[in-house]
Amino acid sequence: MHPVVDHKQGMSGQNPKLYLQIFKNTWSEIMTYRVNFLFWRIRMVMQMLVVYFLWNAFYANRTALFGYSREMMLTYVLLISIVRTIVLSTTTVDIGNKINQGDLSNYLVKPICFVCFYFSRDMADKLLNLICGIFEVGIFILILNPPLAFQPDLFVTSTFLVAAGIGAVLYFYFSLLIGFIGFWSTEVWAPRFLSLTIMEFFAGTLFPLDILPQSLYTISQVLPFHYFIYFPIKVYLGQLTQTEILAGLTVSVGWVILLLLLTRYIWSKGLKIYQAEGK
Amino acid sequence: MIKKLQRYWQLWIKLTLDSFQTSLSSRFGAVLFMAGKLLRFTFFLIFLFTILAKTKALGQYTAAQAVLFYLTFTIVDTITQLFFREVYRFRPLVVSGDFDLILVKPINPLFRPLVGGADPLDLLMLIPYLVVFTISLVPLTPFITFAHVAGYLILILNSVFIAAGFHILVLAMAIITTEIDHTIMIYRDLTSMGRVPIDIYHDWLRSFLTYIMPVGLMMTFPVKAFLGLLSPSMITLTLIVSVVFLIVCYRIWTWSLTKYSSASS
Repeated sequence: MHPVVDHKQGMSGQNPKLYLQIFKNTWSEIMTYRVNFLFWRIRMVMQMLVVYFLWNAFYANRTALFGYSREMMLTYVLLISIVRTIVLSTTTVDIGNKINQGDLSNYLVKPICFVCFYFSRDMADKLLNLICGIFEVGIFILILNPPLAFQPDLFVTSTFLVAAGIGAVLYFYFSLLIGFIGFWSTEVWAPRFLSLTIMEFFAGTLFPLDILPQSLYTISQVLPFHYFIYFPIKVYLGQLTQTEILAGLTVSVGWVILLLLLTRYIWSKGLKIYQAEGK
Repeated sequence: MIKKLQRYWQLWIKLTLDSFQTSLSSRFGAVLFMAGKLLRFTFFLIFLFTILAKTKALGQYTAAQAVLFYLTFTIVDTITQLFFREVYRFRPLVVSGDFDLILVKPINPLFRPLVGGADPLDLLMLIPYLVVFTISLVPLTPFITFAHVAGYLILILNSVFIAAGFHILVLAMAIITTEIDHTIMIYRDLTSMGRVPIDIYHDWLRSFLTYIMPVGLMMTFPVKAFLGLLSPSMITLTLIVSVVFLIVCYRIWTWSLTKYSSASS
């Protein structure tokens, strides 16, 4: 049975208070399962330690590698942990299952914007993870006192935050699109696993992309993943000229618009074939 | 005893065939998963080659040796996932109380959650990994001896036993605290430190990965034996530590069973 729905439904919201409440509810939900969240953060800390110690070992008896000083590379590595919380923290991973199990109907019959609902949840999730990420990296710096490169220019730091913010919006739409595969297939985890594997590599979650062979680096530049982690951190490190920063911001905003339009299109197409199966 | 082993062997074959049928029922998903695993493997290899092209060595190891560490990690990790995939599906059984259905069966309650669902995708993935592994041995051929290969194979088998210990701990954790989703992934993150020889890490971290959480014994020691860097007495000590680790893990599991509340059943 096809539920009677407006195909533009779920893409725009008018009541900010409602979404503020969803934001609060998401925090309450996470705090209800505190041990689970604690273990999630332990995973994140371990991932940070793995990458940090790996790079630290590569720099044994060296002061520079691939044009990065030891300070710059270790700063890149620690900033990955912070930028990850802003960009890659998301609650949208369950959207595919919600579509497959018919739970999407619960949202369609309510006066609520589906995308705004998940955006509010993501904001709550990102903020909580960001606070924890800053705390963890702070503790790490206090204990190990690694050599780091701090950015003294406030303008550059602000631009870094803007770039990370754009990266967060980009990833949100990217993750939504992967979730919308659920309209056409019951196999939602496999496409997500494949896309995450490609994304993590080309986003620079293990290393700065410009150490790659030129051909791979060129491929990374035409993908939106380039603007998730690598670009914001390069801005922070002060390794880009003003023209490069402006060009990067323009292209990433272009990607946001493209993914936004694509999301709207796929959502309307998906709703036309949605059958509330499983309900 | 032999009859008992035969019964478990037949049971394992049956469960494995069922698991293979389930996994391969969605060929689209299977192909995507395998593509993802292959890409993940290739991407890290590219990263390693990129670094080694510049540094020529990783700590005290040559580039060819460093690659061998990563390939051994990949093979151990894949064999582990091949045999212990069911562990990833255990928590919902505890939360729903459906673990009761396993407890009432006339088999060891650990058998089904630990090895009751071998993963065919990992079996298929072993093929390309072993091909790359064989190619990577070419530059090391002059140094390969029978004793080193024997030491390597014994320690690889030992790694599977240590991995079994870790997975038993994860199962025990799922019973003790039903809240946690990520325990198995913490294990995966921890073992990922073994993608490179643990000798390159700080002293305290190396000790932790050798004596507390024996990731080093799992991932680094087999290759060290292969390269002739591990004495027979060290190999023996490694086996003893692994047996002790496995016994401790099993004890924790049997204790955890007393805490099972059968909630929601």
